[in-house]
Amino acid sequence: MLTYLSGDNNVCESCTDLAGAKAKLACYNYDFVLLDIGLPDGEGFEVLEFLKAERRSEAVIIISARNSLDDRIKGLDIGADDYLVKPFHLAELKSRILAVFRRKAGNNNNSLIFNEISIDLDGRNVTINGTEVVLTRKEYDMLLYLIANKGKVIAKTAIAEHLWGDEIDMHDNFDFLYSHVKNLRKKILDATPNDYLKSVYGIGYKFTDR
Amino acid sequence: MKLASHYNRVSILVTLSVLFVGAIIYFFAINNIAARLLDDHLSEEVSELLGYINARQELPNPVDFDDDQTKFIKTSQQQIPTRFYDTVYHSPKKIGDISGRAVEGKLSFKGQSYKFIIIISSESAEYLVQIIGIITLLLMCGLFGVLFLANKYFLNGLWRPFYKMVANLKSFDLASPEKFTPADTQVTEFIELDAAVLSMANRVKSDYQNLKQFTENASHEMMTPLSVIKSKLDTLIQDDSLEQEQFDQINDIYSAAGKLSRLNQSLLLLVKIENNLITETEELDMGQLIADKIRQFQELSASKAIVINSKPAGKLVKVSKYLIDILLNNLFSNAIRHNVSGGTINIYLTEGQLTFQNTGATLALDGDKIFDRFQKGNNSEGAGLGLTIVKNICNTYNWALRYEFTGDLHAFSVQF
Repeated sequence: MLTYLSGDNNVCESCTDLAGAKAKLACYNYDFVLLDIGLPDGEGFEVLEFLKAERRSEAVIIISARNSLDDRIKGLDIGADDYLVKPFHLAELKSRILAVFRRKAGNNNNSLIFNEISIDLDGRNVTINGTEVVLTRKEYDMLLYLIANKGKVIAKTAIAEHLWGDEIDMHDNFDFLYSHVKNLRKKILDATPNDYLKSVYGIGYKFTDR
Repeated sequence: MKLASHYNRVSILVTLSVLFVGAIIYFFAINNIAARLLDDHLSEEVSELLGYINARQELPNPVDFDDDQTKFIKTSQQQIPTRFYDTVYHSPKKIGDISGRAVEGKLSFKGQSYKFIIIISSESAEYLVQIIGIITLLLMCGLFGVLFLANKYFLNGLWRPFYKMVANLKSFDLASPEKFTPADTQVTEFIELDAAVLSMANRVKSDYQNLKQFTENASHEMMTPLSVIKSKLDTLIQDDSLEQEQFDQINDIYSAAGKLSRLNQSLLLLVKIENNLITETEELDMGQLIADKIRQFQELSASKAIVINSKPAGKLVKVSKYLIDILLNNLFSNAIRHNVSGGTINIYLTEGQLTFQNTGATLALDGDKIFDRFQKGNNSEGAGLGLTIVKNICNTYNWALRYEFTGDLHAFSVQF
């Protein structure tokens, strides 16, 4: 997890228990806290309460093995920004982190730029080289997801789960995903000569300018 | 046949035969006693007769003995033993034959031997026997009837706690938290049985609860390692030095991990539904939900070129959004997954029923088993819990779920 998130010049630190988390938070300010509820020496909610009491501004995403509504509501009430249930894909985590981060950053700059691709997050518009590209909702979500995980290989299952939710369980039949990726890639290629969306050995896709 | 009927049959048979044998013995005994009384009477008559002859030195006239008849017959026989016997005679006062008791013997009078016969009427004695017989018969009938009624009603009452227990056992639901209500009884055997049943039910229930708790905990505990596997895989595929072959293997691991986590989630969901943990409900428009789901599944159905025909009517249901979502997801997933390329799905929604019809394998499924856990088709990639979950959700809302195979269409219908 650390390796995955440490790219893009982010600094990541980790600890494995409640005491360590409180100690670290007491010493340093972070932009972002990823909190597992099930810690060996107590419930992760305590960290949230600690942050709330100290009036800290860290964004928090809770990860938990329990997909229970009560835990979710409790976490969000105490001040978490999102709640992610195990098991999840790292790509999903990263896209959530960025989404939370954008929300926290405020409304001054609500657009996402990747080279010549510019995404207006409020209007859900995509412009490439100044021309607007019309995307379906799924294609738009996919592009956002790919850019959030730019430079990383994203497994097909991760994309499918992000777009359709993991309740829709099609058992590794990703034909439907393939056609969406194909359409998105074609629309991007129509507007720019750069082929950012690359297929990786049948395992997934990678959005990269390298 | 009920135990009471068995018991009644045996007791009636025994009572009947005892009464029958008793009646025969009784009849003979009474007859015997009556005959002996008559014989005593006759013996008196004989001694009176002999006394009369000794005193008067003449044979008495027949009239002297009112209703009785006395005959003297001259005889040359030396020996006539005295004997008593039943006979029939004519009475001058009454018309017809009269049954009587007679005695005959020998007497000597003035050197002449006579055979005397004295007959007295036994009618009054017979009358007595009849009366006693009738009274006895009535008594027996009464006794018999009382016994029968007592058996019928009293025994039924006696068995009532037993039937209560049977009803309890029949309605015993492992999953429901309801406790047994003990049968109200004073009978030691039933109290013991009730206690045994009660303790068994409670033990089974607590075992079942433990098992469910175990399933839940095990499933939760599996989520963290699964998460590690997924994260490690996500990190692993970032490695540029990997070859196609390794990616193929990683793909297989992805799919296995995905299957495992879906299985886990399904198990957790089942536990939640069975424990009635999902209670919040809201009023939802089923037709609208189906229309949404069709949109949500359009990419999946389009990839198999499946045509979805839907005739949704507005139908309001008061359910949990979460559960109804899963119900529709599973029905849709099944209808698409087990469909053929270019097949169709028909969805009918009426006031009382929701039906999903889909083309697919040309053989009907085993309607008794498909809703069981881990029952799945030979080439199904699923975990085999989808329909179990659907069934459990339907049970939660007291809906009936049925499967039919008609004209090459598999149909699952939910009756509200």
